[in-house]
Amino acid sequence: MKNTIEILRAGIYSSIQDLRRVGFKKYGVPKSGPMDEYSHILTNWLLDKDICSETIEITYYGPKIKLNFEGNIAIFGSKCDAQLNNKKIKTGVSIEVKSGDILDIKKCIDGNRAYIGFSGVMKLKKIFKSLSTYEKIQIGGLSGKKLNKNDIISFKNIKSPEIKRIPSSFIKRYDDNNFIRIIKGIHFNRVQNEITLFDNEFNISVNSDRMGLRLTNNPIKLNNHDEIESTVVNKGTIQIPRDGNPIILMSDSQSTGGYPIIGNICYVDISKITQIKPNKSIKFKMITLNESNRIIEYERKKFKSILSIDLST
Amino acid sequence: MIKIVPSGDSIVIIKDLNNLKSSILTNYIEKLNLNEIEDIISLKNSVGIIFNPYKITSNKFRKKMKSLILNKKLTNNKSLKTWKIPICYDEEFAIDLNEVSDKCKLDKNLVKKRHKEVIYDVDFIGFLPGFLYLRNLDKSLYFPRKKNPRTHIPKGSVGIAGNQTGIYNTESPGGWNIIGRTPMRLFDKLKDPPIKIKQGDKIIFREISRQEFNNF
Repeated sequence: MKNTIEILRAGIYSSIQDLRRVGFKKYGVPKSGPMDEYSHILTNWLLDKDICSETIEITYYGPKIKLNFEGNIAIFGSKCDAQLNNKKIKTGVSIEVKSGDILDIKKCIDGNRAYIGFSGVMKLKKIFKSLSTYEKIQIGGLSGKKLNKNDIISFKNIKSPEIKRIPSSFIKRYDDNNFIRIIKGIHFNRVQNEITLFDNEFNISVNSDRMGLRLTNNPIKLNNHDEIESTVVNKGTIQIPRDGNPIILMSDSQSTGGYPIIGNICYVDISKITQIKPNKSIKFKMITLNESNRIIEYERKKFKSILSIDLST
Repeated sequence: MIKIVPSGDSIVIIKDLNNLKSSILTNYIEKLNLNEIEDIISLKNSVGIIFNPYKITSNKFRKKMKSLILNKKLTNNKSLKTWKIPICYDEEFAIDLNEVSDKCKLDKNLVKKRHKEVIYDVDFIGFLPGFLYLRNLDKSLYFPRKKNPRTHIPKGSVGIAGNQTGIYNTESPGGWNIIGRTPMRLFDKLKDPPIKIKQGDKIIFREISRQEFNNF
């Protein structure tokens, strides 16, 4: 079928996501959207697409896809073992493809997720103003589901823009000793020992998912575990449940939480933490709200001046 | 005095509303149609706002909200809607009615009676898509959440947990004690807004028979 892609193998968890669903949290519908927003935005940039456009988010091990169109594709995020017609291809660069090509993405190498973009627009119906897949109530994506074998996605407005490459200053590394900057949360004064919070390393648990990342190896003791009155939470909010192992809320998290909030990850560092592989370590570094604001402003200017991407749209 | 505090770099919480209802404040802020606001969540005595920090810094946003709210005379005169929701307490649906009746030492009919005689306030919508948290449950019906949540609770189930009663409007796992079910479809993912009931509205349950449920 012309101007389509066909899923030959779905991979571990592949789903269609656009930037996020805005304005429906008040009904209990999460924002969803890519876990690693940064890589999603840059994937779209490689194809001259708006930052809000849809990509396929792949997790740990990717899909095999038959491409039935002439245009471009791009992969960015975690480095991955990707092949086009059995030949190794690079990530972080747009690639010309022709009808009948087979894209096969295997393991994610240095991170957890990568994004596949296409130089066309997926012919799908938005639900609550977004194409982001949220399986719990089956909305977004292809009839509300993650990608499955034999799925077919149709495209319109397929273009062939110039080949682009992500500048090296935008390539991130997800090795060990990852510092994640956080701002004090509204229940920070409950933390018994600040030193263990900032000096000890955490690991990312394999039990993490699109709702939340679970940290292990450094339980945080609070001097008061009383339930708090439910308060509003967002992606990047760090909650401490009773066992002390922090939960960092992610794309599919709910609008409110009842666990004490000891911190919030600096907006710019959220994408990074989603890519840290299970059992790699991270450390928190405390910054002030003003510092976080400056980091955000610096990021905004960097995207604008080097790539002409307006993050504030 | 109303306080406007940051929570991280992309959330602002407006709290200590005193007599001002959070739903009134939420309604006012929504009507301002501020481009930097992504989500507004109305809680019992506070309003949480999630904004895009690439559009405005937390400091500037708080100042802006302060100027928009503090000098504004907001009153609780918005007429709140009252919704009549049919409920069927048939045993097939009310899978925990026996347990609630036993442990609360109330006859089953009394549980139903006390449950449906109250006018409830919608405290909050969320946790699950369209889940309604209702306040005003009769004290004799307070009952703790299940230790082991069920993996599957059908859409429309009405339950009790702690001092609240609630309505599951999407099928999901859950730990509430189920005492009835409504045939009314309150959450529709194909509509915008998906649910018409708002935080602060009032809910009255109207008992219906199994026959009426089936014919609904």
